[in-house]
Amino acid sequence: MELGFTADETRFAADVRVFLRANPPETFPVDGMDAGYGSGAVSRAFLRALGERGWIAMTWPHEFGGAAQPFTHKLVLLEELAAAGAPFGPLEGCDQTAESIMHYGSERLRRELLPRIARGDATFWQGFSEPEAGSDLLSLKSEASLDGDDYVIRGHKIWSSHAGVADYGLVLARTRREARRSHGLSMFVVDNRTSGMDIRPIRSMTGGVYHYEVFLDAVRVPKDFLLGREGEGFVQLLRGLDTDRFWGRFYKAPSLKRTLSGLVEYANTTVRHGQPLARDLVIRRRLSELATELEVIRLLFYRTGWMIERGMPTPYESALGKVFADETGQKLAALGMEMLGPYGSLTGDSRWAPLRGEIQHVYQTSLGHTIAGGTSEILRTTIATRGLGLPREARS
Amino acid sequence: MDFSLGEPQRLLVNLARAFLREHCPPELVQQLALDPRGFSDDLWKRMSALGWPGLLVPGSFGGSEGTLLDVVLLVEEMGRACLPSPFIHSSVVATSLIVDAGSRRQQSAFLPSLALGDRLMTLALTEEAAGFHPDDVALKGEPGGRLSGRKLFVKDAHLADHVIVVARGSGGFNLFVIDSGRSGVTLAPMPNISGDKLFEVDLNEVAVTDDDLLGGAGRGWDALAPALRLGALARAAEMVGCAQRALELSVEYAKVRVQSGRPIGSFQAIQHHCADLLRDVEGARSMVHVAAWNVHEAQSGAETFVAMAKAHAGAACLRVARKAHQILGAISYCEEHPLHLFHKRILTAAQDFGDAGVHLETVAQAIGLV
Repeated sequence: MELGFTADETRFAADVRVFLRANPPETFPVDGMDAGYGSGAVSRAFLRALGERGWIAMTWPHEFGGAAQPFTHKLVLLEELAAAGAPFGPLEGCDQTAESIMHYGSERLRRELLPRIARGDATFWQGFSEPEAGSDLLSLKSEASLDGDDYVIRGHKIWSSHAGVADYGLVLARTRREARRSHGLSMFVVDNRTSGMDIRPIRSMTGGVYHYEVFLDAVRVPKDFLLGREGEGFVQLLRGLDTDRFWGRFYKAPSLKRTLSGLVEYANTTVRHGQPLARDLVIRRRLSELATELEVIRLLFYRTGWMIERGMPTPYESALGKVFADETGQKLAALGMEMLGPYGSLTGDSRWAPLRGEIQHVYQTSLGHTIAGGTSEILRTTIATRGLGLPREARS
Repeated sequence: MDFSLGEPQRLLVNLARAFLREHCPPELVQQLALDPRGFSDDLWKRMSALGWPGLLVPGSFGGSEGTLLDVVLLVEEMGRACLPSPFIHSSVVATSLIVDAGSRRQQSAFLPSLALGDRLMTLALTEEAAGFHPDDVALKGEPGGRLSGRKLFVKDAHLADHVIVVARGSGGFNLFVIDSGRSGVTLAPMPNISGDKLFEVDLNEVAVTDDDLLGGAGRGWDALAPALRLGALARAAEMVGCAQRALELSVEYAKVRVQSGRPIGSFQAIQHHCADLLRDVEGARSMVHVAAWNVHEAQSGAETFVAMAKAHAGAACLRVARKAHQILGAISYCEEHPLHLFHKRILTAAQDFGDAGVHLETVAQAIGLV
């Protein structure tokens, strides 16, 4: 057992911090809202700056233009970026997509897209969920059929993060109606600029736009933009699902630690009933409990990362980490709102808003976290069946 | 990072699990819980033969030179079997005090027999304030003087050959190693719901000398603080073991108990309870491991990790115990079902070496709250 960073990892973390001091995250223009997961807002300029440092592709193999750095460097990078509140929004999605392209993509996809991803020039959205296919994804209705050298896709996707500010979608569509539900799906890379694409923003309760709804009306996709083989889409999705959940929430602990530090500062400098709020025993204890939970969550994610790096199966670990992180995030945000009292609901536009109005934003976005990427209910069932071997409930 | 256990540690865990399965079945635990003495000499002898009491003792004194990580892994297995034993108080806390703060003479006199399991010690710290903070200690005592007062919640005082008494001196705290048979020392049991045997230790004009002093006059608390952290960490590991067993009992039962024509484990309400149990057990265990690693590596911040491990394990493992009762239903309310033994052990362990309040205050200061 060795639970510390290597000298190399410590050095790399220091490099990232130096970079962040030289390139203060708040000076980059923002193109899209953050999800509150911890990955920050979308900023193409910031992503390009990371690309220039070679950090987007650093863990890719040499043959795809990467530097074959160890897996843990990615953990170190994401942790530092999240701790600094940097706008690295679509980075994790880009990396996941790059991995899919390296694994399943045609020569053309690899040649055209990987270098652009590495530079921070190409970002992606996921087109999986549909209005009638949420937790029950297999009931999706979008269809793709081969017509000459193109697939023609017709369908309706929803809850696609960043779709309006990204370049390409990863779209899951049915290519064989007669096949078993899970065998008839295929995964496509779809260029946002293709004719027939209609991408509409969904304004969220925060007042900002994070999700989009995408209508695909006879969208023609070159057949080498199919990832892997026809009918392989769901298998690809499942293969990536555990790690998707991992990457989707890995940076949540450092990000929430940043939120907690803000609340500690607020508690120290705010006088209530004649004493600093920090001396209120209830507040003091709850902040300490949550700081402890965040440390536990960070550890569980590092442990899962270590398992993924070793190629060990992680049937439930990411689901467990996600449920934990998202629920603790909600608790922290709720405590923050309580601590701020009437100031809690002020937006950053008010000069009276404490902590730049961030707490109400964390509070609101945290509500979506236990829904997106697998609801906490679905994931608890996953943990129970795949982690503990409890019998599956009969499905219709 | 490497989260895997080394080969010797895997062997230790496997050995401990097999040994305790054979020699410490739930029936024995139940029997010892009801027995006023609550100690199996035979079992302790067998554990001693495996070298367990000597894990923290240097080889030069006959110890087996284990690490703190070995200790937490072993104690977790002890918790998983709900083993009643003086291991944590004698072989971890008192032994580490003698190793770290004992004079050469005390080390030679005590360590070889502690390592063999032939000698047992316990710590007499808490009083009516029932806390582990210096302010909670009122008993006064100077070397060459006499101790008169009362210590409470002293674990296994009836088995201990020596009691390490914490007293307030003029220049700071003093620790005295006293024969439990010394004139003026009397014990009274504190009957409680757990299998832990707790005692009131009454001290009536008990003479103490320079020779009894452990760790230098006035410097007792400096010596005591790291030992209390080891105690807290070991108790946290024990709770994780207890919670692990509660989880196993729940899941095993949920797979075979059929109601309305299907195993109750196929109902989402039960599945989701079980998922929460797993989360609490895995989270608490990770924290115990990382705390042990930090103490072992003498990392800055180790103290905070121990505090987090103890506070979190207490809360998380009690949640596990309570929810396990809900999953297991009426059968777990019976004395013959072992769950209550694990639950009660967690209740006691959560209080020992500092409750959540004490440890969360350490965390509060570490995160910068004024």
